[in-house]
Amino acid sequence: MPYRLGRDIFHRWEGNPALSLEDIPFRCNTVFNGTTVKFGDEYLILLRVEGQQGYSFFALGRSKDGLHFTVEDEPVMLPAREGPWERYESQGIEDPRATLIDGSYYVMYTACGDNGFRIALAKTEDFHHFERVALVSEPGNKDGVLFPERINGQYVRLDRPIGMDVGSIWISYSNDLHAWGDSKVLITPRGGYWDSYRIGASVPPIRTDEGWLEIYHGVKMTSSGPIYRAGTVLLDLDDPSKVIARCGVPLLSPREEYERVGDVGNVVFACGAIIEPGGTIKMYYGAADTCICVATATMEAVMEWTLNHPG
Amino acid sequence: MLIVPTGDIVRRSRGNPIITIEDVSFRVADICTAGAIKLDGDYILLITIQSLEGLAAIYPARSRDGYTFTVSDTPILEPAREGPAAAYTHLGVMDARITCHEGTYYILYDAVGRHGYRLAIARTEDFTTAESLGFISEPDTKGGGLFPKKIKGKFARIERPWHGGSIWLSYSDDLKYWGWSEVVMTPRGGFWDTSRIGVATPPMEIDEGWLIIYYGVKETSAGPLFRLGAAVLDAEDPSVVKFRTNIPILSPREEYERIGDVPNLVFSCGAILERNGEVKLYYGASNSCVCIGTTSVDAILTACQESDKEF
Repeated sequence: MPYRLGRDIFHRWEGNPALSLEDIPFRCNTVFNGTTVKFGDEYLILLRVEGQQGYSFFALGRSKDGLHFTVEDEPVMLPAREGPWERYESQGIEDPRATLIDGSYYVMYTACGDNGFRIALAKTEDFHHFERVALVSEPGNKDGVLFPERINGQYVRLDRPIGMDVGSIWISYSNDLHAWGDSKVLITPRGGYWDSYRIGASVPPIRTDEGWLEIYHGVKMTSSGPIYRAGTVLLDLDDPSKVIARCGVPLLSPREEYERVGDVGNVVFACGAIIEPGGTIKMYYGAADTCICVATATMEAVMEWTLNHPG
Repeated sequence: MLIVPTGDIVRRSRGNPIITIEDVSFRVADICTAGAIKLDGDYILLITIQSLEGLAAIYPARSRDGYTFTVSDTPILEPAREGPAAAYTHLGVMDARITCHEGTYYILYDAVGRHGYRLAIARTEDFTTAESLGFISEPDTKGGGLFPKKIKGKFARIERPWHGGSIWLSYSDDLKYWGWSEVVMTPRGGFWDTSRIGVATPPMEIDEGWLIIYYGVKETSAGPLFRLGAAVLDAEDPSVVKFRTNIPILSPREEYERIGDVPNLVFSCGAILERNGEVKLYYGASNSCVCIGTTSVDAILTACQESDKEF
């Protein structure tokens, strides 16, 4: 079956959307922005579900093939309703990103409270029980992704604070996951490009022979609203504050109806990816803030585009 | 008699303003505000001076009596033109707040670069030169005041992240990596501090806990009104606000506070707590000059404790 070539570097799964409202066994508004891991012989996807009340929480989907998911009957993580975290999660928890470090899964997510949003970190062994570790950022920061290993002995994260009204990707370091510092700018929006308005980390960094591959989201503002696309940047393995290459073009852009039409139209927003043994990357993304989709590419193609097409 | 009684809890000096652009030996655009410390009987201010180009730097000024100051023509902290710090300071450094932490003098100040505001920290022994210790916040956090003692075994600072316009608190083991951030005080709808609040003076130790003077902003159709208020934070857990004034302790009323580059503004970065309980409050007026007002800890506490009184 021929598919239209040349539109995007990532190829959409023909079964998209992989998960939508109808696949959630409880009443809710939307499902989007899920993070994925291979867990035993299963694929797990930790999903951001927006309830009908309007705030978000996390549910879990399971799959044997990474394409067809079954969502569990009950949410697995709800906003804190008591204790010191309550005031920081009173308006919901959003956009989880799971990273496996030293045998434990850490989930960075956005905690939304009355005093703004900030990055929070939870730890889990089974994706059913989550231990809240720390609120790791100041307010006004989101899109935190943790590197899957310590670098020079330190934990490292990328994040998206707003500075001078510009949304750039920053890098921060920590010895203990609680106190963070050495923060600096990693990459900034590029005038005139598809990522000219705002950028942020999306998928937790993926180790490759050439460097850390980060799939990030770039926003272009138009007169009728933002367009969210997915692009790549490659970072030095030993010093991830060094950019080796940045792709000049997006690897996935909203084109299909399920990406164009929804609560927030014209959005593709990845929070997870899995590299299969054969070198295929499965990227999981929220489309139009309304459903979950899968797109695939060969790592060879992703790396070739990242390294050789600076724009 | 230096003191003129007014309706405010802080009484202005008849000699106000005490430092204007006429008191500086070089051409400048503005004199904005001052941090303050008493050192061997000398009063030292670190004043923010905006150059004619529009870039701010921090200059020391000295006095024997706390009222008559000599301003140095050499900055103690200035924007970096090159090197890794330039991206974060090339547009200016400002609003120094001084803390003597167990015998060491630290300066927290705002650095401005193309990526926004950040808190920076420096150490000094002589208030002529300072050693930079780096940037300690994410972007768009400003107005940092270091506590003069460790709290719960850690360094602690109060600060004002832009997002949410509230006063926050962060902790560190080493002054480099910061975390455990929590919100302390938020703007109050309908009050004089309804739009946003921020740190004015670093915390001062009194019997009742930590005394801070903070600024509150009320947006009006003609622009913001910056006033000063006070609060007392719990000695052991400064995220707990014990007292907070319902009324400002100083509001723009005099001509030098009403007229200037940023009119209707009183803004402080430092106060001296004298042995007899007198508080010498140094404040910038209209972003154009430095003034002094005096009050006492007792008067502030009375104002705090009468918070519920409406008239």
